[in-house]
Amino acid sequence: MEHLAHLSRQIKASLIIGLLVSNGLLIGAYWLSATMFGLDAWVILALLILLTIVLSLVVAAILGRLFMQPAKALWQVILHVSPSEHGVAAPNIESLKIGRELVANLASQVYGLANVVAESNKKSEPTEQDYGFAATNLPLPLFVLDAAETIQFANTAAAVYVGQPIAELQGKNIYMVLDMAFPSESTLDTWLKNVKTNNATASESWERVRLNVIDNHPTRLFDLAAYYNKDNPNHQETMLVLFDHTKQYSQDDQAISFIALSVHELRTPLTLLRGYIEAFEEELTGQLSPQMNDFMQKMSATAQQLTAFVNNILNVARVDDDQLELRLQEEDWSQIIDSAVANLSLRAKVRGISLQSQVAPDLPKVGVDRLSIHEVINNLVDNAIKYSGSSTSILIDAHLSKEGLVETTVQDKGVGIGADIMPNLFTKFYRDHRNRAQIGGTGLGLYLSKAIVTAHGGNIWVRSKPNEGSTFGFTVKPYSQLAEELKNGDNKDIVRGAHGWIKNHSLYRR
Amino acid sequence: MDNQPGQTIQPDNPQAVKKVLCIEDEHFIGELYDRALSNAGYKMTLAVDGAEGLKLAQTDEFDIILLDLMVPTITGIEILRALRDPAQTPHLKAKIIITTNLEQREDVRADIEKQADGYVVKAELTPHELVGVLLKLA
Repeated sequence: MEHLAHLSRQIKASLIIGLLVSNGLLIGAYWLSATMFGLDAWVILALLILLTIVLSLVVAAILGRLFMQPAKALWQVILHVSPSEHGVAAPNIESLKIGRELVANLASQVYGLANVVAESNKKSEPTEQDYGFAATNLPLPLFVLDAAETIQFANTAAAVYVGQPIAELQGKNIYMVLDMAFPSESTLDTWLKNVKTNNATASESWERVRLNVIDNHPTRLFDLAAYYNKDNPNHQETMLVLFDHTKQYSQDDQAISFIALSVHELRTPLTLLRGYIEAFEEELTGQLSPQMNDFMQKMSATAQQLTAFVNNILNVARVDDDQLELRLQEEDWSQIIDSAVANLSLRAKVRGISLQSQVAPDLPKVGVDRLSIHEVINNLVDNAIKYSGSSTSILIDAHLSKEGLVETTVQDKGVGIGADIMPNLFTKFYRDHRNRAQIGGTGLGLYLSKAIVTAHGGNIWVRSKPNEGSTFGFTVKPYSQLAEELKNGDNKDIVRGAHGWIKNHSLYRR
Repeated sequence: MDNQPGQTIQPDNPQAVKKVLCIEDEHFIGELYDRALSNAGYKMTLAVDGAEGLKLAQTDEFDIILLDLMVPTITGIEILRALRDPAQTPHLKAKIIITTNLEQREDVRADIEKQADGYVVKAELTPHELVGVLLKLA
């Protein structure tokens, strides 16, 4: 406040001096013109008016400039510390004619405030030390690798995860530390090779990676995220972060293991039953009464149906656990239809139903997993058999769709499906309606069929009217189209057959 | 499978009787396979124990080995590895077909795919249909 009063006094003094000087000049001019030169009164008046105007302008300019000095200096001070202005010099406060003390005081306050702001900004901008602290204490295992995939940095969580001190990890090849098993052909190794050739930066993630540990450490299962940047400083090209899901994935695996074990236990007696039935059929051909022959066929068909059901259980578990893996290979669709019809005809026959198939000539080769697509046809035909009612024929038709896909329909003339039921048909455990009391089924077949067809890149649909029958249809892609889409899938090991595989060539899809 | 029960199957060259080693601990399955293979002109030897099966396989007298994975003493996977390891089995002419009802873990399956010549789920095939697979192998 004292500085403000001082400034006020300086302004007043400047004004008084200014007024005194200008008035003195006017009086002097009057005296000179009246007494020395004896000018006429009108001329004196005109001269004085002119002089007043000139003096007013001069005094106003001088005082205005003087009074603006403190404001201008303060403005310069503020701009000088402003982060948005660059190159504004600090004012020379010492050269101020008035308000020097006030401006000096206020400038010191502004500089002080600016320092506080700068300090606080400085704290919010992390330093390298901050980054190091964060990386070291990140509660997820983190590895940073150089171009040779040698560990440059491993954090505390990484050391704990692999059970080795940080100092021992640094300098080791990552694959010596992490012996990883990936669920598909896409591995960290293959990905890195690819991105190092083709990319400047890239990122990727994998689920259900298994860490094969040495000694007595329990197996660990985790998701892995990787980031690659060719231009990272200090040759730190690749970052790996592990997200442990051992508990969750182990539980899933146990569930699958239980189902797999149950399936094994069911399959062994089924193998025997089918073997014995076949032996009886072979030995007793022509010796049985027509009824016993019919019973034998029904027994065989039932064993086949049970085998198919056991596969459904296993595959539904795989679908639910995202473990259904297809091997898509080039196949002749008419052969697949013929083979499926041959396998299913006994089941249809014992129900008094004939299976008819028609396959359009010149269909392109398709890209399918033979085993899985057989299950789709099995399920659709089984369904048609179940819901045929008094109808005695089922038609399987394969043709090229308008979209250039191979479309197959399974048509029955049975009980049909109400419109209200349709939306739920492909839902798990959804059992129709159409005669629940008399017709068995688990509601797994259509759910599984949809999953398999979708995994093939196709579509499944149904068209039906109550009491007129149903038509289920699905599409698969021509192999040429699929091979183009999957040209990176270059596995050339295996061909999977309807009941197994022999070595050859295939594509993968999950 | 293309062949139907009751149909007589003969190997391509009936003069050379093909020898099959079946490593399978379930006697009933062994019995059924023996019947079907004999009817088709093969000569089958059954080993119900892993160690015995490996020993027989390493004699290199067989053309085809049917290998179950869940067998006692030495598992089918271990037998497969031993048969594909030149240090343990210097020469093996036989084709190895895994015959199992067990569903494999991904890593085990990958291991099998590298080393075996074929893989069948026993419940999916009748003995007669298995013979059809063996005929295609040749």
